[in-house]
Amino acid sequence: MEGDMKDMKRSTLYPLVVALVLCAAPSLLLAAKVGAPAPDFTGTASNGKTVHLSDYRGKYVVLEWHNNGCPFVGKQYNSGNMQQLQKRWTGQGVAWFTILSSAPGKQGNVSASEENAYMAKMQAAPTAALLDPRGDIGHLYDAKTSPHMFVINPQGVVIYDGAIDDKPTTELSDVAGARNYVSLALEQSLAGKPVATPVTRPYGCSVKY
Amino acid sequence: MRACETGPVFWRAIRLGVALLLVAASALAEGTPIPHGTLELIAEKWIEKQSLAAGEEFDVGLHFQLEKGWHIYWINPGDSGEPPRVDWHLAAGLTAGAIDWPTPRRLEDSSTIVDYGYEDAVVLVVPMHADLRLAAQKIVQLGADVKLLVCSHDMCIPGKAQLLLTIPIEAHASSPHSRRADLLTGTHESFPGPPPTSWKFSAADAKDSLVLTANLGQSKGLHITQALFFPLAESQIANAAPQKLVPAANGFRLTLRKTDQLLKPIERLKGVLTISGENSNLSESYLIDAPVSLNMNHERRNP
Repeated sequence: MEGDMKDMKRSTLYPLVVALVLCAAPSLLLAAKVGAPAPDFTGTASNGKTVHLSDYRGKYVVLEWHNNGCPFVGKQYNSGNMQQLQKRWTGQGVAWFTILSSAPGKQGNVSASEENAYMAKMQAAPTAALLDPRGDIGHLYDAKTSPHMFVINPQGVVIYDGAIDDKPTTELSDVAGARNYVSLALEQSLAGKPVATPVTRPYGCSVKY
Repeated sequence: MRACETGPVFWRAIRLGVALLLVAASALAEGTPIPHGTLELIAEKWIEKQSLAAGEEFDVGLHFQLEKGWHIYWINPGDSGEPPRVDWHLAAGLTAGAIDWPTPRRLEDSSTIVDYGYEDAVVLVVPMHADLRLAAQKIVQLGADVKLLVCSHDMCIPGKAQLLLTIPIEAHASSPHSRRADLLTGTHESFPGPPPTSWKFSAADAKDSLVLTANLGQSKGLHITQALFFPLAESQIANAAPQKLVPAANGFRLTLRKTDQLLKPIERLKGVLTISGENSNLSESYLIDAPVSLNMNHERRNP
């Protein structure tokens, strides 16, 4: 009798629970949050390869939201700072993904070949640039600005979410004296310390979804 | 039915303000080009050919006119963007005060990104203080180097403008004047002011949200149907989250979801509150500075 009740409850509640979980999933269960597992994604790189975040378990991963027309992004690339960060950290075994979530027709939306040409010209050196014109990865991480940076540790947990540094301007001259939150998070985590500033307000242009 | 009309009335009032602003501006010379618009430095007319006594103040305005679909940002830009920044180059004897920001608009960039700023046309007002008596000089020059970001839903463009304003000054005594009158004809209601002294605001820290409580005291018949809070500081509330308005005894409560970026409790909630009601032409904005207390459950656990 009790078993019947349980079965009945299960059978009536099951679809409801599934529906609730599915509806709530994008905002509650999968959203990127510091201290929580980084949501997995599959992305198409400008080099034609398919990238699964889960393949990089065991490594640190940096995610960089990008829009080549945004002046805040221009500050980082025209000063050479972003490229230096990419070279420094990929040189230490960190995987670095530049993610382009601009929708078709909007600033920063480029084809694979245009992105490859941009990276060659700027001497950018990420592990790969992921084309996300539908904004799937952007929304999964609730990426708000370009740049918006995330750092994921080898256990697959988000350890940093926010701005690239503490100077929210478009001035090239502000790069030199800025505290770079991404490097700080990686340095502290690699030294076995907790990340002192794990969340900041990302600044930049809105992601052009 | 009346409630349904409130929204449009509110926005009509805003639009009227903007329209009057444009009328006031159209009498003036063309501005300096900025991306998708113009920017002009304007001053109150009364100071022309007047002497300025030491200690006297007058207002200047940074008058932005933007093409449709483009915007600039409030002091707290919200989820993205950056506010305009001004570097003043002033004649000896003049000191610039801080920008007085008009009430911003909520700009929905996408479902998850909300910014605060201005569309169409806006005047950012800056008070100027005369440290010396400015009478002997025939002219006074004010220079402003402005850096700004102009954005649409589709793109952002940085801009710069070098503005210069020359004001003739003569040794006549100054005449009576009302501040800002000719800078902002008919736009006073788009600037937030202090709320009536009988109104009391407080805020409670309730785990995932900050609840702003307004007690409007004896203001009978005030039925607030819309309220929107613009936080002065970044990283306090989730800008894109809906703000839930609930009527309460003598007022209302407005629930603001906290952002994940808020890592420490805040002691005061500061910002601009716009409210509109179903009766009267109420559509006002106020400067709010409310003490924040921990919610009651929490207090009970930790007396």
